[in-house]
Amino acid sequence: MSYADSNAHHEEGSYFSGPPGMLAKIWQWMTTVDHKKIGVMYLFAIMFMFFIGGVAALAVRYELLDPVRTVQMMDASGEEMTIVTGERLAGLKDIMNARSANEVYNRMFTLHGAVMVFMFIVPSVPASLGNFFLPIMLGAKDVAFPRLNLLSWYIYVTGCLFGVLSILMGGVDTGWTFYTPYSTTTDADHWRVVLMILAAFILGFSSILTGMNFVVSVHKLRAPGMGWFDMPLFLWGVYATSIIQVLATPVIGITLLLLVFERLFHIGIFDPSMGGDPVLYQHFFWFYSHPVVYVMILPAMGIISELIAVHSRKHIFGYRAIAFSSLGIAGVSFLVWGHHIFTAMGELAAILFSGLTFLVAIPTAIKVFNWLATLYKGSIAINTPMLYALAFLFTFSIGGLTGLPLATLATDLHLHDTYYVVAHFHYVMMGGTVVAFMGGIHHWWPKMFGKMYNEKGGMLGCILVFVGFNITFFTQFFLGTQGMPRRYANYVDEFQTLHQISTYGSWIILLGFLVHLGVFIASLISGEKADQNPWGGLTLEWETESPPIEHNFHHEPVVTHGPYDFDKVVPPGWDPKDYPLPANPSSHS
Amino acid sequence: MNMPLLASTNMSFLQRIFFGNHGASEAAAWSDGLFMMIFWFSAVCFVILMALMVIFVVKYRRKPGVAAQPSPHHNLNLEILWTVVPSASMLVMFVLGFEGYAMKMVAPDSAMELKVDAWKWAWKVTYPNGASSPETKYISFDDNMLALEAGEADALIETMGLEYPIFYVPEDTAVKLRMHSQDVIHSFWIPEFRTKMDVMPNRYTGYGFQTPKLKSTDMVLDQTTMLDIPGRDMWIFCAEYCGDEHSRMAATLRIVPQEIYEAKIKEWGTPKDPIELGKTIHKTMCAICHSVDGSPGTGPTWKSGNGYGFGYDAALADGTTAPRDANYLRESILDPNAKVVAGYVPAMPSFQGQLSDVEIDGLIAYMQSLSDLGPNQEETNEETPEAADTAGSESP
Repeated sequence: MSYADSNAHHEEGSYFSGPPGMLAKIWQWMTTVDHKKIGVMYLFAIMFMFFIGGVAALAVRYELLDPVRTVQMMDASGEEMTIVTGERLAGLKDIMNARSANEVYNRMFTLHGAVMVFMFIVPSVPASLGNFFLPIMLGAKDVAFPRLNLLSWYIYVTGCLFGVLSILMGGVDTGWTFYTPYSTTTDADHWRVVLMILAAFILGFSSILTGMNFVVSVHKLRAPGMGWFDMPLFLWGVYATSIIQVLATPVIGITLLLLVFERLFHIGIFDPSMGGDPVLYQHFFWFYSHPVVYVMILPAMGIISELIAVHSRKHIFGYRAIAFSSLGIAGVSFLVWGHHIFTAMGELAAILFSGLTFLVAIPTAIKVFNWLATLYKGSIAINTPMLYALAFLFTFSIGGLTGLPLATLATDLHLHDTYYVVAHFHYVMMGGTVVAFMGGIHHWWPKMFGKMYNEKGGMLGCILVFVGFNITFFTQFFLGTQGMPRRYANYVDEFQTLHQISTYGSWIILLGFLVHLGVFIASLISGEKADQNPWGGLTLEWETESPPIEHNFHHEPVVTHGPYDFDKVVPPGWDPKDYPLPANPSSHS
Repeated sequence: MNMPLLASTNMSFLQRIFFGNHGASEAAAWSDGLFMMIFWFSAVCFVILMALMVIFVVKYRRKPGVAAQPSPHHNLNLEILWTVVPSASMLVMFVLGFEGYAMKMVAPDSAMELKVDAWKWAWKVTYPNGASSPETKYISFDDNMLALEAGEADALIETMGLEYPIFYVPEDTAVKLRMHSQDVIHSFWIPEFRTKMDVMPNRYTGYGFQTPKLKSTDMVLDQTTMLDIPGRDMWIFCAEYCGDEHSRMAATLRIVPQEIYEAKIKEWGTPKDPIELGKTIHKTMCAICHSVDGSPGTGPTWKSGNGYGFGYDAALADGTTAPRDANYLRESILDPNAKVVAGYVPAMPSFQGQLSDVEIDGLIAYMQSLSDLGPNQEETNEETPEAADTAGSESP
């Protein structure tokens, strides 16, 4: 135990025990500067956007159940009639004010991409779990700038409102990448494209402010005794992410603003008919959007480091290698944007970017080896967080390895812009980040809400998501290699079987998330009260109550052991009888 | 997948699952081989990782009262090993990938140059003699009659809808592409050559490929004569998202013997009846947006009735009307955004430089032939009375 006397303050309530009265409670939450409340508000807002993006994904898969065909046939009276089959989203044409079923599909995949990237996955882990746990894991009362933190939540919600407004006006069909000159010329007499671009622009500020807040917090607010290399690896992941957010996001902000200028005031920057260069846009866009891939994955990697160490009660293997590889990935991530546009650039540039891209694969591989080595000789619990961590190792390894043929120039010319790429980045983004995020939510759920969840239900949800995910996306690798381009509302007959399997898989994923939703609601209503430290973690969040008190700790904690010294320290809140320590602890530090 | 063809090859089973068919050129086969190399490397790594994971999880699963056993927190030699081995493997992939890239990008100087033009949403290939292909086929692989049970009636179902142009190239020939887009960015992908390159509106791009020799079993249907001829069809897809009809921006590349190729482009190069010319241009270049049967599309239909068709006044987006005469049509082809019909968006690119005067005249003649106000009324007599009725009752 790292603090001496907690008896004196026992009457202090948990962070969410507010004033009586519904209105007063809502007012208290809306004006709070408590990082925990803000983290929970982020969690709910982000999950809502995940729901919207998920519905769009299901719609996309539903349209692709069968190819669109115009057929001529005889009806009962022998009269010839022409019918169109397979346009499954055609019913939405009027609601979305679209010209054709194809346009409905194009808006659906744009909506899916834009919502999932800008409103869900970029803020997902750092803004929700990061906000809640970064200060507690540092041993601080709050982030460095609590009011800025609340402001960034409001900016996030404003950005999302712009996006939702654009969707309610019918949505946009630019693709989430807004490639020019298509994005500056499509739907020219409508505001919805501008609204969607502005949504991404506004969300960028939320990202920058959160990133700055975290960088300063990590530098200035570490508890006494916590050196840089005593930080939990989750914080290293969030710290590296924050640096990328602060450095890369301004670039996309400027780029999106230029896009708006070109659309509204016809200033030729990207559109060649006005003297611009469309590939310039792609360079600007990926200069942000490639590093942001690591904004999505680095905090997820941090979660996995925590989950694997805690649930196997083992010191993480190669702590410094994991910490430095996070920073290494953050650095190299700025030098590889060109691999998204091999088919649009000159030969010399393509060769350079191909080489640099392989560089970024190495620190990622090292992390996977380290996690695996951590399991060695552990005491491995099989529960929902650990199942998700194991699922992560499976899917993320596939995601990483299938990136190799994309970095290789000769094979990328075939695979670029096909379903192979779609499958690859879903294995990284969903199989990586979403899977780790779900694992992290289960891991910290008892701490955040003070209630346990149903373990069997959680594991069932995890297995359904895992199985459904692999059915949905593994098929898409074969679609891609066989010649199916991405962003197609229609396809040639030979691809139908694989598309059908993929669509059925998406329904299993839906079932899995519905199980999770049920488990979470049941836990909030009637969950068993959670102990202070249900898993036996050694990081500082397990030294305070579940849920934490408003100021996190009764006294400023002092760090006396490393975050992963499971072989030396009985975890706080545990009886030594229930937690056997090995007879001969490791002599390494 | 064409299973019989696959069964006769010596590719590995997995390679057949991945790529379905032979790469059509040496460079394509080379890149498939490289893919399989990387695949096997990845598969071995993945199986080792997952096997270790499963073994650890089973062997070291939590048992009550048993502590985790201590083991070193790091091991420099191990860590150097698992840094150096992946790095070295990736260096090999990089170098081989570069080599294959060069094979795909660089065409011999003697290669036959084809000009590829792209716009929303069609491809056009222009041959060295200035001709381009008027031939088309349906998207469905078996583009013939399908006898299917439909609804209450046992009826013949015929696949209809859009036809896609067929571009002929001679077998065993080096080809290089010079590509340009009229509007947004497209990407010219022939999956069987395993290569794609973006088609830009502001500069030429391109790549080269060597067409394969035909096998004696390679036969295709010549739609103009309805005879089987030696040949091999391949899909061409647009791989860069370009809007509404992106998924139907397809074409067929048809590899044929040299003499058939030469006969074809000679035939296409000779002048023909203007209406016939207009009809083939419509089918290969215009049909994706403009129907001729009155069905709605991205652009106005060319069939007369409901205020559409040659000779009828066009209600414009700015509230005025304009007579749809030959001058209006010529302007709309060369400067499409000058007059936009109400209810449509200005989506059409200019065909200035794309269509010759003879071809524009052909298109106008074809549009005239479709209208009940045109000079060739006898051709559309069956539809005329009905169309004239609805056209007359249309409010401006």
